[in-house]
Amino acid sequence: MKNTTLAFLFVSPALLFLLAVLGWPLVQAVILSFQDVGVIGSQGHYVGLANYAAILGGAGFWRALGRSVVWVLGNAVVQTALALATALILNQKFPGVRIARTWVILSWIVPTVVVVIIWRWLLSSSGGMINPLLIQAGVIERPVGFFATRESAMTTLILINSWRWFPFTALMMLAGLTRIPSDLYEAARIDGAGTFQRFKRITWPLLQPTLLVLGVVGTLLSFNVFDVIWLLTAGGPAGATQTLPVLIYETAFKGYRLSEAATVSVLTSILLMGFAFLATRAMTAQEAAR
Amino acid sequence: MGDYMMKLTKFLTLAGFAATLMTGTAYAAPVDLTLWHMEQPPHRVQRMKELLDEFNAAHPDIQVKQEPQSWGEVYAKAPAAFAAGNGPDLLFTIPDFTTVLKGIDAVVPVDDLVKDLDAKHGFIPATLAPYQYDDHVWAVPAYNMAISLWYRNSVLKAAGVEVPKTWSEWQAAAEKLSTDGKYGIGLPANKQLYTDQTVYSVMVNSGAADIYKDDGSIDFDKPATVNAYDFYSKLAKLSPADNGSWTWGEAEACFASNTCGMILQFGVINTYDTQAEGDAADLGVAPVPHADDQSESATISYSNAIMLTTKDEAKQAAAKVFLAWLLEPANYGRFLTMEPGLFLPVTDDGAKADSFWNDKTVTKYKSQVETMVANSHAGKLFGFTTGKVFPSIGAISAQNVIAETLQHIVVDGQTAADAVKGGQARMSEIAKK
Repeated sequence: MKNTTLAFLFVSPALLFLLAVLGWPLVQAVILSFQDVGVIGSQGHYVGLANYAAILGGAGFWRALGRSVVWVLGNAVVQTALALATALILNQKFPGVRIARTWVILSWIVPTVVVVIIWRWLLSSSGGMINPLLIQAGVIERPVGFFATRESAMTTLILINSWRWFPFTALMMLAGLTRIPSDLYEAARIDGAGTFQRFKRITWPLLQPTLLVLGVVGTLLSFNVFDVIWLLTAGGPAGATQTLPVLIYETAFKGYRLSEAATVSVLTSILLMGFAFLATRAMTAQEAAR
Repeated sequence: MGDYMMKLTKFLTLAGFAATLMTGTAYAAPVDLTLWHMEQPPHRVQRMKELLDEFNAAHPDIQVKQEPQSWGEVYAKAPAAFAAGNGPDLLFTIPDFTTVLKGIDAVVPVDDLVKDLDAKHGFIPATLAPYQYDDHVWAVPAYNMAISLWYRNSVLKAAGVEVPKTWSEWQAAAEKLSTDGKYGIGLPANKQLYTDQTVYSVMVNSGAADIYKDDGSIDFDKPATVNAYDFYSKLAKLSPADNGSWTWGEAEACFASNTCGMILQFGVINTYDTQAEGDAADLGVAPVPHADDQSESATISYSNAIMLTTKDEAKQAAAKVFLAWLLEPANYGRFLTMEPGLFLPVTDDGAKADSFWNDKTVTKYKSQVETMVANSHAGKLFGFTTGKVFPSIGAISAQNVIAETLQHIVVDGQTAADAVKGGQARMSEIAKK
């Protein structure tokens, strides 16, 4: 038996499983998107591309897509900054570094619902801790509602989600940092390179492959985040945090327009698959260049 | 050998009897009923368990088991369960949820049962009305909830204000109660059901109860609605800044901690009794104040009901036995007091039942509960006021369009007139689909 055939035989159970749990629902979603099904369980009729025309011609999809882009970029920037700083600290040798590497991941392993409850109460303007602290520090004069305005709601959500996810990113970066040969730093030090120069000339370039992988995975994960947004703002206020996953949920289960929701899902999947394809090609090209 | 044959014959005879008995037992197996309800707090689940255990013990041929769900999920979960053939046999509901499930043919009419129960116990008409349409009754009312204005007598007295009856008195009171670190009133502005309910409580008090015309077209954009939104948004400014993410719990917590002077809520008795002062004499409850040009107060009321959702005739018969048992005054009061001071009776004899009034908490807060019951009689519900029910109310309610309209005022700074105009367009768009 050829090696290729044997390899296919080995991976075929996993592929078949993936086909069943991912492929079949996706096919169902595509079929639904060509119908006019309302509530789950009700009958629909074939409507051709009508749903696609309505969704792409309306403002709701594009606004939600715009918010999703803001959400992904915001999370990418904040998480990368927090994670990189954390990874650099954890890559140093100091007493308790092993404990710190374990403890830093705590916020990531806490269940989402618990995270939401903690932050909701911390940020409450009538009994939470953050408002009094900010008042004492002179940052604000009176309690503010962190989810009360369009801008503050999205910013607060990004910060909370980043707080939850940055430990995971930090550990991935730490793994990348530990792979950088220490003799490079020693040589740079002998050549008189300062901390910033060592970071700029060694750490940052050699961390690029890790950052690229994290960028792709992080974008796909962030894009699909639903729980934190739904539990904290349900897409509000006034739709300010209604990203595409929230729009899909609301359309399907609150608007009872299952086929329209399936249409948005299919469009979202195409977008994400396109992104993943381009990113994978970029990574392959980068790998080949090295 | 003969002895052996005798033993074998005896054994086979006994085995035959045993098999016959087992088969007989199989035929007499109890009818299993699955009940979905959305009363998730542990003490409510426990009370339901006690009632079900009692019913099951008294009716060996019927076994009812509960499966608690959440209101947040059941709108999506129930249709999916029915589509997959795994739906419950009995399902708690509120009026708009019934329209959704009726739309997928998951609900069985209960005309005869309700007729019998009405003759025996006397349903309060307002609790039955939201379930009577299309020539049938679609659920058996189980308990009622009505929003009231809650306050502390001592707080109002200290500020020198009377219990408000009109909007101008209400606003003046809220302004006077707003002092350093205290909020005169706690009203939600979240895009969520609680905000729908509180906004509608204000709407019905300005004469804007109907959101549909008789022909099913939307009747939302009118001066009375604009007035209600304008007034509500003024009061919302006197509420805590995070009211944009409030649900029922935050309002109750604000009241319990004495941070909010007044709130609109179905009930606060349990929270006040267990997490605040618990001084029955100081807890005040009143009808929701009405607009200055109106003469009487009204409110929003939700009669929660139980739908029959099985097509199996044996299960339907068993479910009817259970529902009839539940509404018996001796049992019904204990059902209502699974959350004392929140769930109100829907039947005339239930409203007089010792099992209700003898509850420890209800006894302690008797005058408040009496006021709540009185308020509930003036209750209305959006989409169920004209005697006709249109299917789009399910989607309008589920998408919280009433609350969303408010957000356009308090978040986007729109005028009440513009926001209500937008709300009319949004409801019309939903009704068209």
